[in-house]
Amino acid sequence: MTTGRWLVIGCVAALAAVPLFGSATMVQYGISALSIAALAQAWNILGGYTGYASFGNSVFYGLGAYGTAIAMVDGHQSFGVGLGCGVALAVACAWLFGGPILRLRGPYFAIATLGLSGAMSAVVSNLGFAGKNVGLILPLYRGDALFYELSLALLVLCTLAVAWISRSRFGAGLVAIREDEDAALVMGVNTPRYKALALLLAAGFSAVAGGIHAYWSTFLDPASAFDSTLNVKMVIMTVFGGPGTVLGPIVGAFSLSAISELLASQLSTMASAFYGLVIVLAVVFMPGGLMELGRGFRRGGRRYFLDNMRRFRL
Amino acid sequence: MHLAAQILLNGILLGGLYGLMALGMGLVWGVLNIVNLAHGAFIMLGGYAVYYCHAGLGIDPFAALPIAMVGLFCLGYLVQRFVLSLIARAALLNTLLVTFGIDVVLTYLALFAFSADFRTINPSYAGDHFELAGLTVPLAQLGAFATALVLAGGLRMFLARTRTGRAIRATAQNLTAARLHGINPRRIYPLCFGIGTALAGAAGGLYGVVSQVTPYMGNTLTAKSFVIAILGGLDRPLGVLAGGVALGIAEATTDIYLDPTYRNAIGFGMLVAILVLRPTRLFERA
Repeated sequence: MTTGRWLVIGCVAALAAVPLFGSATMVQYGISALSIAALAQAWNILGGYTGYASFGNSVFYGLGAYGTAIAMVDGHQSFGVGLGCGVALAVACAWLFGGPILRLRGPYFAIATLGLSGAMSAVVSNLGFAGKNVGLILPLYRGDALFYELSLALLVLCTLAVAWISRSRFGAGLVAIREDEDAALVMGVNTPRYKALALLLAAGFSAVAGGIHAYWSTFLDPASAFDSTLNVKMVIMTVFGGPGTVLGPIVGAFSLSAISELLASQLSTMASAFYGLVIVLAVVFMPGGLMELGRGFRRGGRRYFLDNMRRFRL
Repeated sequence: MHLAAQILLNGILLGGLYGLMALGMGLVWGVLNIVNLAHGAFIMLGGYAVYYCHAGLGIDPFAALPIAMVGLFCLGYLVQRFVLSLIARAALLNTLLVTFGIDVVLTYLALFAFSADFRTINPSYAGDHFELAGLTVPLAQLGAFATALVLAGGLRMFLARTRTGRAIRATAQNLTAARLHGINPRRIYPLCFGIGTALAGAAGGLYGVVSQVTPYMGNTLTAKSFVIAILGGLDRPLGVLAGGVALGIAEATTDIYLDPTYRNAIGFGMLVAILVLRPTRLFERA
């Protein structure tokens, strides 16, 4: 094994040990940071590698949460079975809508997925067994350590999948689609199947995150399950870290969660405005994300930022 | 039959306002190739501008619209000149992110400055209406519709007849060719974005009269504007207005016959259906 691998395993082990030593607040913060990192990583498969900017990943997150909750509340099933139901529901939805929606490109795809999340939220809030607008209350389970480890496991699994994608023939096909879809098709990449598979993977991982979060927070309503700001967070964290890289979404998610946590404790309303400012500056001065920043900065120093700015200027 | 006619009327009146909201977004999208996620935030700022002109200075909301439009034009001009021009040639995702960042900044600055309270612009004639052929016509809504019509017509005239308008359309059609003919996009882009935000400002003021203004109103309105801009075609002002009317009627019908919770879903349902069923035509148009 290379030193890099040992380093990664060491990091994961250190993270896994946090519930043993860390405070309750730290574990709770860890759960949300890890699950948003997993969501960003799932978004990375579709948005980063395939180049399809999805604003509908929160649909799969929400369906995962609802599938889990309905199985547990209405069906009196265990959490494991519920999670399976949630994933099945989200993957079925991705399979159903993936066909027509993946034919769209660019902003049309982005908005069609955004529309899907709006429509799904309205549909769910009219279903009796899903608790309508009031929401569902899940059985209480006091064990933040379990949720923490589950979130960590999901993030590791998702990252392993992305690591495989980055060096497999499948991943090369996805990147080819991102760079030039028509050329990829001509070169023999089965683009519809590749895109559908990327969507299914992203949907499955997002659904697990949704199921874990639903059981952890014990309460679920359409507004929180299909929250589009969550989807926007996935996008921003991925792009901030470095889209289309294995570690980028994790780096982006951890650093932005830390920034917003720090800001929120210092100044409440202005924190969010500052968050917006960070996004603008990051995209203008380092469009390749944090992962590219290190390399670019070593090569060009401060000029790296100015070069980026000049590159896309009118 | 009577109910259906009344729904139709309500939908048309609301739809005119929706169309006005989408005008600026469609113009910016078509010319600058930017899907402006901060569009709703500019609408919100227009709403507050008119609110404070009315509540603070006692100016009639309709008379305050030009003030809001000038203010929003300046703001939009500066935002394009100093921020968006930096990413004029970047990938779509990056422009989406930057405009989203601007949206966040504007929303929370507004929350900080104006508080989260719901504000309604309430002129003395706010609740007035008159009867026409058995139908109830609300005065404020009719005024908003008429203003939207005038502004859309004005934009159409501006784009079709004036030299600057023709330069804007040329830039939208082919940037390289336009530059070869001596059009400077550094002059056109901020101007065009400013016009877009000015129209958003007018829409915000009118929205405040017929509904409410809050710092958070932007996102839904951005999404609606997007739907309408696609329905109507990006660079055709009257088409956009028609798209707005279509959405308004669809929403009003949903409210009565289905359930108001489906209201936001219906617009997106329409959008997804249209995009999926007839994508080619829309792509060519864009």
